[in-house]
Amino acid sequence: MVARAEIKSRPATRVQSVVQALDLTKWIDGRPILRNINLDIPAGRFVVILGANGAGKSTLLKVLATLTRPTSGELRLFGRPASAGAARLRARIGIISHQSMLYRELSARDNLVFFGRLYGIERPRERAKRLLEMVGLADRADDPVKTFSRGMMQRAAIARALVHEPDLLLADEPFAGLDAPAVKALEELLSRLHGKGKTIILTHHDVDHSLRMAEQAVVLRAGQVVVDRWARQLDAATAIREMTAA
Amino acid sequence: MTNALRQIAILTAKDLRIEARGRQTIGLVLVLGVLIIAVLGLGLGPEGRVRGVDATAILWVAYLFGGVLSFEKTMALEREDSAIAGLLMAPIDRGVIYFSKLLSNLVLMLGLAAAPGGFALVMGIGIVGFAAVGTLFAAAVSSTRLQGGLLAMLVFPITLPLVIASTQMLVAMFRDGEPLGGVGLAVLVAFDAIFLVVSWLVFERVLEP
Repeated sequence: MVARAEIKSRPATRVQSVVQALDLTKWIDGRPILRNINLDIPAGRFVVILGANGAGKSTLLKVLATLTRPTSGELRLFGRPASAGAARLRARIGIISHQSMLYRELSARDNLVFFGRLYGIERPRERAKRLLEMVGLADRADDPVKTFSRGMMQRAAIARALVHEPDLLLADEPFAGLDAPAVKALEELLSRLHGKGKTIILTHHDVDHSLRMAEQAVVLRAGQVVVDRWARQLDAATAIREMTAA
Repeated sequence: MTNALRQIAILTAKDLRIEARGRQTIGLVLVLGVLIIAVLGLGLGPEGRVRGVDATAILWVAYLFGGVLSFEKTMALEREDSAIAGLLMAPIDRGVIYFSKLLSNLVLMLGLAAAPGGFALVMGIGIVGFAAVGTLFAAAVSSTRLQGGLLAMLVFPITLPLVIASTQMLVAMFRDGEPLGGVGLAVLVAFDAIFLVVSWLVFERVLEP
């Protein structure tokens, strides 16, 4: 349960909410993974979700992505109930994780063209070309994804997530396994997307790094939101204490 | 409807393109199929002549084992690097994913079904039913660690009525010269229809990560 003081310091919503979670719970195999999650994330906000291993971060992102249904509570995306017309809502969401969600045997270009066609975008080849240039993979566009380094794979995954120009980008531990230059490149890319008005919700195990990047910080502990406030109002030590408090 | 067909075509083309690059599934299915047919054929027809009745049984054994291999492989490529999550995020009906996987499996398996007339018809209907069950269960077990053994254990008993019905029909056709049709054909068609509809309906639940 979020303490009253925390709720008061929660960043105020002035524009349309992209994500509204109302008392969301999710049970898996008889265990509560998410408990009474309440969130209100406006358009254009960069949010980081922090939490110890097993706190429910990835499950929360899956629920927000409509990949799994909440056991109870209500999820509204872009002002509409997620339970109705999920396919249409999904068309406005992009997702990246530490796994690429790409077909390893296909080239980066073929992957992007494939997903572009599935989303029904016009001229998928041109779109793929532009995205590959944006993520710096134009010179490796026709190589199979399985030949890519981890950093290149992640950049290709971001291109895939952006192929349909989503309004909301969900990123589950996107920095996992990346070396320092790749981390910097990804951070710049996310920053650029945020600058373009995209709403970004990120989970990340590096608390310091997360708080530097994001505007809003949400801390999960044992499936509950224990902190929800401006990232600049939260220091790493407090966040870690909240993540692990008994 | 047109959009769903377009999406099925896109997904199936992707599967076949990946298969064309690696030739892993078709290679394995063909090798296994030829091995089974050769070994059983030699055992049943030492003079190089296998009766139609025996051929039916041999083909079904080849299809059952080759099919399970095909179902596993086509789903495995979706689980690799969580590609399935990318697919599930696309604005497409889960039934579309099911039918595209079914089509991919059928393309990979029907290569072995080159046979004339009534034989091809009965085996064709049987294989559609077998693939309908196999595609569904391959998706269900693809996230478990027991994949190979578990898939065979689930699929073989469920498809037994299909195998028995088609074998009996072909035995009657080859041995007794009876015309194709009647209850046997109705059982095959009903089996296909039931499992195609059920699979389409439950596929969303099966795929939930």
